Amino acid sequence: MIGLAKRKTAVSTGVSIPVLVILLAAAVFLVIGSLVSSIFAQQTVAGLAQGAIFGSLALALVLIYRATEVINFAQGELAMATTYVAYQLTLWHVTYWLAFFLTLLIAFVLGVVIQVVVIRPVQHSVIAVVIITVGLFILIDGLVAWKWGADLKFMPAPFGNQVYHAGSVAFSRQDLGTLLVTIASVIVLWLLFQFTKLGLAMRAAALRPAAASLVGVRVNWMLALGWGLAAVLGAVAGLMTEPTQFLQPTMMQAILLYAFAAAVLGGLESPAGAVIGGLSLGVFLNLIGQYVGFASAELRLPIAFALLLLVLLLKPNGLFGRRQVRRV
Amino acid sequence: MKLVPIAVVAAVLAVLPFLLSGYHQGLATRVAIYFIAILGLNILTGYTGQISIGHGAFMAIGGYTTVLLSANHHWNLIATLPVSLGISFVCGLLVGVPALRLSGVYLALATFAFAVSVPQLPLKFSKFLGGSNGIHTAQTKSHLWLYIVGWSCAAIAFAGAWLILRGRIGRAFRAVRDSELAAVSSGVSLPIYKTLAFGISAAFAGVAGSLLVLVTNGFAQPNEFGVLLSLQILIGAAVAGLGSLWGVLVGAVFIGLLPSVAPDVPLIGSSHGQDVVFGLIVVLIMLLLPNGFAGFLRRFEPRVKTAIKADPKSS
Amino acid sequence: MGMKGRILAVLAGAAIVAGIAVTAAFGAHRATPGVSATTITIGGTFPLHGPAVLYKTIPAAEGAYFAYVNDHGGVNGRKIDFKVLDDGYDPSQTVPLTQQLVEQTKVFAIFGSLGTAPNLSIWSYLNSHQVPQVLIATGDSYWGFSAKKYPWTIGYQPDYPGEAKIYGKYLNSKMPGAKIGVLYQNDAYGKNYYAGLRVGLGKAKENIVSAQPYDATAPNVTQQMLALKSSGANVLVVFALPTQTIQALVTATKIGWSPAATIINNVSANPVFLKIAAANGASVDGVLSTNYLNLVTTTNANTAGAKLAKSIIQQYASALDLNDSNVVYGLGAAWTMTYALKKAGKNLTRAGFMKALKSLNVADPFEYPGMKLQTSAKDNFPSEQLVFIKWNGGASGQWAPFGQIYNKVR
Repeated sequence: MIGLAKRKTAVSTGVSIPVLVILLAAAVFLVIGSLVSSIFAQQTVAGLAQGAIFGSLALALVLIYRATEVINFAQGELAMATTYVAYQLTLWHVTYWLAFFLTLLIAFVLGVVIQVVVIRPVQHSVIAVVIITVGLFILIDGLVAWKWGADLKFMPAPFGNQVYHAGSVAFSRQDLGTLLVTIASVIVLWLLFQFTKLGLAMRAAALRPAAASLVGVRVNWMLALGWGLAAVLGAVAGLMTEPTQFLQPTMMQAILLYAFAAAVLGGLESPAGAVIGGLSLGVFLNLIGQYVGFASAELRLPIAFALLLLVLLLKPNGLFGRRQVRRV
Repeated sequence: MKLVPIAVVAAVLAVLPFLLSGYHQGLATRVAIYFIAILGLNILTGYTGQISIGHGAFMAIGGYTTVLLSANHHWNLIATLPVSLGISFVCGLLVGVPALRLSGVYLALATFAFAVSVPQLPLKFSKFLGGSNGIHTAQTKSHLWLYIVGWSCAAIAFAGAWLILRGRIGRAFRAVRDSELAAVSSGVSLPIYKTLAFGISAAFAGVAGSLLVLVTNGFAQPNEFGVLLSLQILIGAAVAGLGSLWGVLVGAVFIGLLPSVAPDVPLIGSSHGQDVVFGLIVVLIMLLLPNGFAGFLRRFEPRVKTAIKADPKSS
Repeated sequence: MGMKGRILAVLAGAAIVAGIAVTAAFGAHRATPGVSATTITIGGTFPLHGPAVLYKTIPAAEGAYFAYVNDHGGVNGRKIDFKVLDDGYDPSQTVPLTQQLVEQTKVFAIFGSLGTAPNLSIWSYLNSHQVPQVLIATGDSYWGFSAKKYPWTIGYQPDYPGEAKIYGKYLNSKMPGAKIGVLYQNDAYGKNYYAGLRVGLGKAKENIVSAQPYDATAPNVTQQMLALKSSGANVLVVFALPTQTIQALVTATKIGWSPAATIINNVSANPVFLKIAAANGASVDGVLSTNYLNLVTTTNANTAGAKLAKSIIQQYASALDLNDSNVVYGLGAAWTMTYALKKAGKNLTRAGFMKALKSLNVADPFEYPGMKLQTSAKDNFPSEQLVFIKWNGGASGQWAPFGQIYNKVR
């Protein structure tokens, strides 16, 4: 068991020195820029707030990938649907925070059910899983719009709208809350995968299902658990996103695209990478929007994806991914 | 052995326009468009195993080529089709090169990114590409003309696909799909064949895109080539059954006719019928018929299959 | 000729006369598709799913109005059968669906189809087939200016560039010398507004200190709002879709920017959106826009139009919310359609109907009291009037009109 623990630590972090140096340099650049120019500071802080939202959804994507080796194209819609569940609970006069945690529970069950009923029969084929999650995307979108309508609705923000000022920089309590919740989620996931037998079993079930079942891991249940937890993270992302995107069926669609970019940037296997990827993306987009004329509005999304492609080509496992040897 | 079904389908298609009203001819033409696009995707994903959720972008490239040539330079509409084919082919090669370094979900994500980004370009370069109000070519054609052109292109595409796949290129593709390592060890050059597959696949999609624009009254606009289009083609290919040409017609019929049928589904049909019905059917088909229609066919023809397998001359 | 011969001749003659009469009767109906002795069939394409699905309350309200009309004697004795098809705001769907309406369902007219690009894709098709394309739900001005080339097409609402020109004129007269910051969508929708604003400002367009475009696929507009604030602008003009308009208002308050005046476009001035903005922390009191509808507010609740709107929605579409200006819009468009159909008479033809639509001079009860729908051979814009409105009352407030009615808005 001790040997197992040692191997565990060696495998989990994929941060290389060059990447750390780049991140450190970027952080220094941001701090200096913020001290020099107030608009720079404001764009950076706004970018961090937006990036935290990207990161929160990217976390769910990364968790599913890490726990089950599949990409879930329906993650955003699932997050949106669970946010509507919370909305419905508040309509039934459930107090906000009770509704919040009930929604997390419901999301967990939903995630597990989807994995067992829809994903498990096809999980041997990457193409089949991609297609079925695409089908889920379309189905969930239609169901939500059918049940609740497509018009804009209001839900209170989890942490409230109060605005704080640090010099000329403004951020809301919600922005801070989203960032803290996202970081807390990363820490919880890290603890789960690093220090618990459950986390190890989940990793084993994803990477080496046959070997894992031989040592007594119940592979199917681990995969379902992965989906359940990812659905919970998605629900959190949805509830954190609602104050800026408002409650409408399309609310997560723009976020999903950037969340994919963030997840790939950070490395599809790294929760911390997903969040740092999201924060970097948010800041990057705001700064080039402010200072680079050609990077006009239409190109915002293509630029994010060009970045994604660049990372995929140069360092396919992202900034924080482990180098994976292709097994022959 | 296989000529009989082909002859039957061809005969039906030849007679069909005389039995259908103009509007239904239009529907049949849309099936032809999806047929060509799904055929192309099938070559890429079914025969070389590379996932693409970006074929809507290639359709956009083909469609805008046709509109720009005919609106600004008054080209004959049919003459634009080979140009659209050529330009899309080149774009496919260009995408195929970086795609060599990616596989599986990473490739899916990269092509997805491509599909999302390309429709943004007409907005950026709105002077040349028409922006959000699109570009219109003044030449509009009758339902019958579109049907004939559409299905002729589909027939040519089918013949082309069959010829490509039965020869050396097809064998190389299959080798790449089944085991890249084995393919390399038998001397199949991965970069050449994988990139070629992307090019051919994109060329098919480009022609389909040109036809789509023609069927939309000669109007090209970014909303016609959204992400949903790429998803529909992927789903059509899955319904068809990857790695076989036979199900493609079924996949094309499914995608082409569903929007007309969805509103009639009771209860949910009228509002959001498209989404719910479409999504539900996709999920059900992947669960019940994971190998698509072609897989379903294979279940019913075990004797035929072994007979063909035994015959060394057939592919 | 013998007896047999004469009888045969008479019978033959009778048969010929009967045949002509019958053919004439059928022919008269066939000559006007979509019109039978009992029904007028019309149809349109609307985004019931997809990016523009917010507007699906418009066809719902229109359907409610037609149901009301049908229950009260119909139009010259005929009931209106309104087909609503879903094109998802995608022209490649709009075309076949419209062809289905024209060639299969054989509608009398295409009514209310929504969206500029969708309508552009069927513009020449409908005109070459001489099918009315009327009261279409788009604020672009192409239809109004092209009456000679496309005589079968006519819009309904005041067009966007015209509306933006009024904002320019207003700023010139009430706030000369103001530093103007503009947030606009980066496609034709937003750019047409922005161009109209510059025309309306005239020389004062140099006072536009910052113009920030945003893309509809972007999650928010914070970067643009920060840029606008730091440009020193003291007037904010927002030409955006609802979500981005709400985001702009919320963000402005959040970053501590309170411009001397904030103007939002009419499309985003739906009371529902203002309330959501306020609930999310935006300070919305004093926000300006323009209006041409008889919005149901406490001040005009006693007008005939407001009462009628309330009773129709209660009876025929109780799920709709009268706070949603799209609902009032739909009622107004449907009212205009019915009025023109009635005016065209019992012997209903497409040409007669277009003539009726192009000779309007009437007050629509669902439009702002004092405004009139006016069209003529030279004027293909039914609504060309706007009045300024100001929001009062925060999250539970409403619009209050003020000032003059602006005419010739185009």
